[in-house]
Amino acid sequence: MKVLVVGDGSREQAIAETLARSVKEPRIYAIMRILNPGIVRVCESTGGGFRRGKPTDPVQVADYAEELNVDFVFVGPEEPLFHGVADEVERRGIGCIGAKKSLAEIEMSKAYMRRLMWKYEVPGRLRFKAFKNVEDAIAYINEYAESLAIKPARQAGGKGVKVIADLQAYLSREKKKVKAKHAVKVVKEHMRGYTDIEDRILLEERVEGPEYTLQCFCDGKTVLPTPLVQDNKHAFEDDLGPETGGMGSIAGKGLTLPFITMDEYNRSVEIVKKLVDAVQRESGEYYKGVIAGQMMLTDKWGPTIIEMYSRFGQPEGENILPLLETDMVEICEAILSQSLAKVKLKFREKATVIKCLAPRGYPDHRELAKGHPIWVDEEAIRKAGGKLFWGSVDTVDGSYVTGGSRACEIYAEADTIEEAAEIAERCIPYVKLLDGWGLFYRSDIGSRRLLEKRMRLAEMVREIYLYREKKGILGKTIDWIPGRGKIEV
Amino acid sequence: MSGLIGIFAFDELWSIARFIYYGLMGLQHRGQESAGITTVKDGRFYTRVCKGLVEEAFKEDALKGLPGHIGCGGVSMDPAVSQPIVIEDRGKSLALTFSGGLLEGDLKDFGLALLRELSKSDPEQAALTVMERFKGGYSFLALTNDGHIVAGRDPMGVKPLCVGGLGFDLAVFASESSALDVVGADLSREVEPGEVMSVEMFSIKRASTGYSRRAYCSFEYVYYARPDSIMNGIHVYEVRRRIGLLLAKENPVEADVVIGVPETAIPFAMAYSQATGIPVEMGFMRTGRSVRTAIKPTQFERLVGVQLKLNPVRAAVKGKRVVLIDDSVVRGTTLRNTVYLLRKRGAKEVHVRIGSPAIVARCPYGTAVPPEDELIGRALKPDEIAQVIGADSFSYLSVDGLTEAIGLPKDSLCLGCFTGEYPI
Repeated sequence: MKVLVVGDGSREQAIAETLARSVKEPRIYAIMRILNPGIVRVCESTGGGFRRGKPTDPVQVADYAEELNVDFVFVGPEEPLFHGVADEVERRGIGCIGAKKSLAEIEMSKAYMRRLMWKYEVPGRLRFKAFKNVEDAIAYINEYAESLAIKPARQAGGKGVKVIADLQAYLSREKKKVKAKHAVKVVKEHMRGYTDIEDRILLEERVEGPEYTLQCFCDGKTVLPTPLVQDNKHAFEDDLGPETGGMGSIAGKGLTLPFITMDEYNRSVEIVKKLVDAVQRESGEYYKGVIAGQMMLTDKWGPTIIEMYSRFGQPEGENILPLLETDMVEICEAILSQSLAKVKLKFREKATVIKCLAPRGYPDHRELAKGHPIWVDEEAIRKAGGKLFWGSVDTVDGSYVTGGSRACEIYAEADTIEEAAEIAERCIPYVKLLDGWGLFYRSDIGSRRLLEKRMRLAEMVREIYLYREKKGILGKTIDWIPGRGKIEV
Repeated sequence: MSGLIGIFAFDELWSIARFIYYGLMGLQHRGQESAGITTVKDGRFYTRVCKGLVEEAFKEDALKGLPGHIGCGGVSMDPAVSQPIVIEDRGKSLALTFSGGLLEGDLKDFGLALLRELSKSDPEQAALTVMERFKGGYSFLALTNDGHIVAGRDPMGVKPLCVGGLGFDLAVFASESSALDVVGADLSREVEPGEVMSVEMFSIKRASTGYSRRAYCSFEYVYYARPDSIMNGIHVYEVRRRIGLLLAKENPVEADVVIGVPETAIPFAMAYSQATGIPVEMGFMRTGRSVRTAIKPTQFERLVGVQLKLNPVRAAVKGKRVVLIDDSVVRGTTLRNTVYLLRKRGAKEVHVRIGSPAIVARCPYGTAVPPEDELIGRALKPDEIAQVIGADSFSYLSVDGLTEAIGLPKDSLCLGCFTGEYPI
């Protein structure tokens, strides 16, 4: 059996390794932009192979798949999906784990996703406005002093989102300026070159609460949820610093997190299911792949959608895939034959922690973070009880060089999140940049203190959303504007 | 005494001066003699320091002249030391804000030493080296002209310092969490005793001297801190309430009404009332804006402040046996004036209760305590004080009572001004 994995990140390493564990002993192939050492190793050790290419190019991917005569393709990242890789692979008669373009739009266009939520009245929806030009967005910003999330209308590698709480009238003027400047930046920088959607910028109501990710397998008929994962987006310790793609994540043990109840878990699954229904109805296609809700527990709704992923999160995928006991190839085959309903997902009962290491300069000055030789003692990490996932690292003339994003991740599992965090912590010294350039990570991820902070926040918003539910105003915005009257949205 | 704030915006789109300005207003209670802000842009400092309250020191245009996304500010009660202090050396410059006291040397020495160390090593290492050299009880924030904020707290943690964030955009350091609240930032945690933190565009780093013992300033809980602040993990408001409860327990008296001296002693009075069942009344009306009289530099200003601040409400005290609660007594002169006014407005009896022990000694860590021969609590016994100020009775909270009210182990507190025993 042969499987082609598309993508070159830590997530794809986890996917490749999980596939390789299958009793069917598949040979793993990969198409990568940069040669991720972890993926290269899986390919080599399973008797497969790899190619340096463009994972976002449907023809390149499909050609390679055809050439190899693979049993199916597994697409890791979102951009290949947005470019129609799944469509092309399937057109050539090869099975593909990964949403087709029209379905992946649920992630690609944040405006589309929000419109779907309102059209199909999916719980956990937020008020939003999408703009096709920056002038209109700025006019709106100037008119209303609101707490806002300002987002590129398209998924832009997780970049360009700015959330501004605007609660102190005396600082509002200052914040308006920042909002407007950021809106310009979104359109000019983050949305530059993206011509595949019309909307440019999204203004969304700002909500507050603990975030979590719910990742699911989906065959178009059945949605199979996996354990919740919580990612930490702030670059630096104590939840300070700029937003990153995630500096580390925690999960377990079991299906939910210490600050999310089973009821909230179930509600979250329902939301994702409703969205799958909605997007399938719109596109007329079956959703075959991975879908994830990047969610937040808010006082407005309880479980609320912040963004949708048409793939595993990164690093969130790496928390759960190592624990998967069900045969991954079997899951993929069930997705392709739309018999996922018969599959029972089993995960080992462990808590997991991932800590990412990023070169200095990440996230906002990646040119500085790029091009540094990196050294890892994987054996020592293994001995300390952890495991390494390679991230943004390329293989150049046999040595490893950073690519500008998070270079690698330490994974650890144990009976509790704190124990897993301690194991991960012990592995950190075994990763170094050889030119002396700085490498940073967050020692607080998985700590009791941070966990308690999330629990306090969750309790606060839980009390409010449950009260709202009791009052029959869950998810509603009820406002009173003097002179205009009561306004309900 | 002083209050300090430093804000670092990770996105250059921000203009930070107004945030510092409002943050300083949230620290105004820590110093009312002068206020200042330094921001940095393109390697250059922009500084404005003025006498007076924050609002007086910064008019509209003043903030416009403070560009940049990184800055710090300070309020000071010492008319001789306005903050931030800008220090220049060999083409490098540093803006220092400082709260507390050094056993040897002054702030300029401290700033210059830090600036020189910064040219030799990493910011956090430089700060540790300087902290080891300059003993005392303090917290500080330093801004460098290349856009670093370095923050530190002495190994005993005498003076407070906390850090928080506003979304993904700002990191905020401040003497008290009240300033974080005012700028809308969430408190992440308090800087630990002996800990230094440095913030720049690409990192937040920390290092620690370690510590031998903690010695949190107990007077912060009694007087300095705002009741809505959290200090060393303790809610200041709760301490003030417990002080009231313990005052009622330690020195009960029969009375008709409890009144607190605004504003610090109001929570004491409320809790005292709850504990005793004696009703609490609004005993005073203020004329003009809120001023912290005890930290005014001259006797004349203190007296004027008190007289303006404390006009007794006749209907609340006339014909009644009054328990008058105040936070502390330094010289006793303003208290004497207050008791006299209450009598004049018809109070039948006046029983004074003080929410802290007698102040008997100087403070080596920056609290402006007058010379020891001016301290009434050092010179006179409570009975004598009652006679001097014209009260029917007078008593303090005991040292143990204060410790209990704060709720931290006695050996983690500095009680120097009440006991004359200092941690170093």
